[in-house]
Amino acid sequence: MNIGTRKILDRSFTAVGIGSIIVMAVALMIVVVPIITNGIGAVFFTGTVEHRKMLFSEFKRGDSEGLSSEVASSERYRAKVYEMLTGFEAELETMAPEKKAEYKSKYAQVRAALQALLGPLPGDSAPMLTRFKYGQTRWEKAEEKLHDFLYESKWDNSNPDVMSKEYFVSRAISFQGTSLVKLFPYVKNNLEYMLLPEFTVYWGFITDSSVDSHFFGGIWPEIQGTFFLAVGAMLFAFPLGVVAAVYFTEYARPGFLNSMLRSANSTLAGVPSIVFGMFGLAFFINTMKVSESKSVIAGALTLAIMILPTIIRAAEEAILAVPKTYREASLSLGSTKWNTIATVILPAALPGILTGGVISLGRAAGETAPIIFTAAVSVGSAIGLADVFSSPTPALSWNIYNLASEHEAASQIRHVQYGMVLALVSIVLMLNLSAIVLRARISKKLKG
Amino acid sequence: MAEESLGESNRTNAFVLSARKRTMQKVIKTAGEGMLFAAASFVAVIVLFIFYFVARDAVPFFQIRGFSEFFTSSNWYPADDPAQFGSLAIIYGSLMVTLGSALIAVPMGVAAAICLSDILPFSIRQYAKPIIEMLAAIPSVAFGFFALVILAPLLQNNGGPMLMWAWWILVSPFMILAVIVISDLLTTKITDQKRRQQLHIFFLILFGLLSVFLLFKVGTILYGIQILTGTNALNVSIILSFMALPTIVSVSEDALQAVGREIREGSYALGATRAETIIKTVLPAASSGILAAVILGIMRALGETMVVWMASGNSSQIPEPWFNYLQAIRTLTATIAGDMGEADQVTGSARFHVLFAMGLLLLVISFISNLVSERIVVRQRKILSGQ
Repeated sequence: MNIGTRKILDRSFTAVGIGSIIVMAVALMIVVVPIITNGIGAVFFTGTVEHRKMLFSEFKRGDSEGLSSEVASSERYRAKVYEMLTGFEAELETMAPEKKAEYKSKYAQVRAALQALLGPLPGDSAPMLTRFKYGQTRWEKAEEKLHDFLYESKWDNSNPDVMSKEYFVSRAISFQGTSLVKLFPYVKNNLEYMLLPEFTVYWGFITDSSVDSHFFGGIWPEIQGTFFLAVGAMLFAFPLGVVAAVYFTEYARPGFLNSMLRSANSTLAGVPSIVFGMFGLAFFINTMKVSESKSVIAGALTLAIMILPTIIRAAEEAILAVPKTYREASLSLGSTKWNTIATVILPAALPGILTGGVISLGRAAGETAPIIFTAAVSVGSAIGLADVFSSPTPALSWNIYNLASEHEAASQIRHVQYGMVLALVSIVLMLNLSAIVLRARISKKLKG
Repeated sequence: MAEESLGESNRTNAFVLSARKRTMQKVIKTAGEGMLFAAASFVAVIVLFIFYFVARDAVPFFQIRGFSEFFTSSNWYPADDPAQFGSLAIIYGSLMVTLGSALIAVPMGVAAAICLSDILPFSIRQYAKPIIEMLAAIPSVAFGFFALVILAPLLQNNGGPMLMWAWWILVSPFMILAVIVISDLLTTKITDQKRRQQLHIFFLILFGLLSVFLLFKVGTILYGIQILTGTNALNVSIILSFMALPTIVSVSEDALQAVGREIREGSYALGATRAETIIKTVLPAASSGILAAVILGIMRALGETMVVWMASGNSSQIPEPWFNYLQAIRTLTATIAGDMGEADQVTGSARFHVLFAMGLLLLVISFISNLVSERIVVRQRKILSGQ
């Protein structure tokens, strides 16, 4: 090969290596940025008067006077809508039977769209579910619903070779010639006065419990559940892991037994997370009966087993990184081996051990598969500390799955899902970042 | 241990302890060591327990239904009467996403590891490592959410154009490179300088046009593809590859670092470029360690639950044709996660036990590959240290 080609190959080899790192960074950005930007929307958004109504009646928050004046001003604009509706209902009665039947079904759709936008209309029976008690609480959702109200969605299946396409037909056209036709431009032009959007900061998203399976309210039960599970797992795994690491580094003699124990450790690290869940179900719940069915304690134990190998490895590395001179100095002063470990080596290794612990804590908080069968429920309120031995808990990781894939109106509550993902990701990344910073400080200190 | 015996003899000389106290000390010491050993062997006990308890609930399935249906049929109708538990399609789905993610993650991961260990200066490496750690730290359910809510609709609505752009961006640099290298290789044998240059240019133009044609042809074919569902094997493979990447990068970086400086310097001294040094000397020396990294990374993809559960479509059938990554599939982990809730109430039925059979399968595969990768790493360390 001639030297020019060799040089090009060398350069492009470098480019491929750097390129793959850049791809990784970009992938991280692509995953994290939409989660952050959309997740922030769960707390900071343009809220409507319905949001304030909801806060007042569900959580007793906000001042009643300001709210009632707001409601009064929005009702002034809504009154005209109601008027038009009753007017059309009267008109409907006077129509010819076949025309009446046609308009009736269309009118029902219009009414449903309006209910979704503004909440229950006069004449409706009181709704059973809280989600139907209020109109749209978020302005961007209200704009979506306004589109649903103005246009009817239809599917074009005329060409069987390509996928059917959605297209929109204005509802106003189908009501041409009736009194209702005026309703559409009126709602479009006055929606702002009917819903009174204003910038809202809803910190309650973090501290409130959910109302009507996450349609309204916050995610506190999930955050608390994640906290209980992760901290519970650490309570079991951390002391055990550190003690095991002390054994491996200070006492273990090379031999068959030792290599087997180490093999067991790496095997445990490689077990798929879902298998931990099955084991937790089969062992902790069905055999040991630590609880009747799913419970926080069973989930925490399962998670503890899962993070144990990570903790052992991190602690081992931290202990091995303690300079040999520390040990020798302590022994030469006449202290026993155990004394040396407890008073010299462990304190010196503590930051490193903590780093491993913090990373494991993040892993325990983020993991879903082990708690599916052992601890997680999809709906529930925050549990007290006394209930951890008997009752299951909602947890961020599980509820993200549940809201995104199993919730009956998953696409309606995207903002809650994003908010939850952001909460989980930021908890985990914060823990990891602090571990990274901690480690950087240690390596600086050890360098001297 | 030398230090310990020294310390002990010093102590006995310095302070004379009563016999009772000495025995007490000995008892405490043995008891303490015993407790440490117990804590360390706890992990081994747990591993045995996991095997025992998963196998205990898996064996009844094979007793009731035998082996052949599970491994050879792809009729998965656990809720029907009579129920069918053919898991071939599910096992195939697991293998498919694992292979798909390996195809993306292995080249990228190894390239990134080489870059980290041999190419980047230390100051930049410091910033690159946290990126990889963050990627490893993001919870799987967040990746799954991303795959389901953001990537799947993108693939479904703009799948063709996205595939085309991916093809162009990823393949065209390598095409250009291949054209240059091939035309160079074809002309090296010719001694006449002038003829050689003419031929070289001729080959460059010929292969260049050919590759441009190929790029556009395949690009237009990809552009025309309609992806019927965004939750498919491709989506999952992409996401899983990003989850497997950190493992592959960090373990193979360790393997590359373990290859000594002397080997590299010897190669440079013989006049090799950096790329040649890495490809011809460093990579072969580190190959077993990289293999171990690949195995560990692949295991991460095979054992991953949430992403495949949320974004693979969960339809238990072998795609038509078998390499079609654009169809929905179902994997072992997702089946366990999804069906346990329904099977739970009838503990003791085949439907409950079949899930444990799947779990056992996963467990055995992960155990074997772990052992293999561990052996490989030990062997490499021996070879590199002792020769």
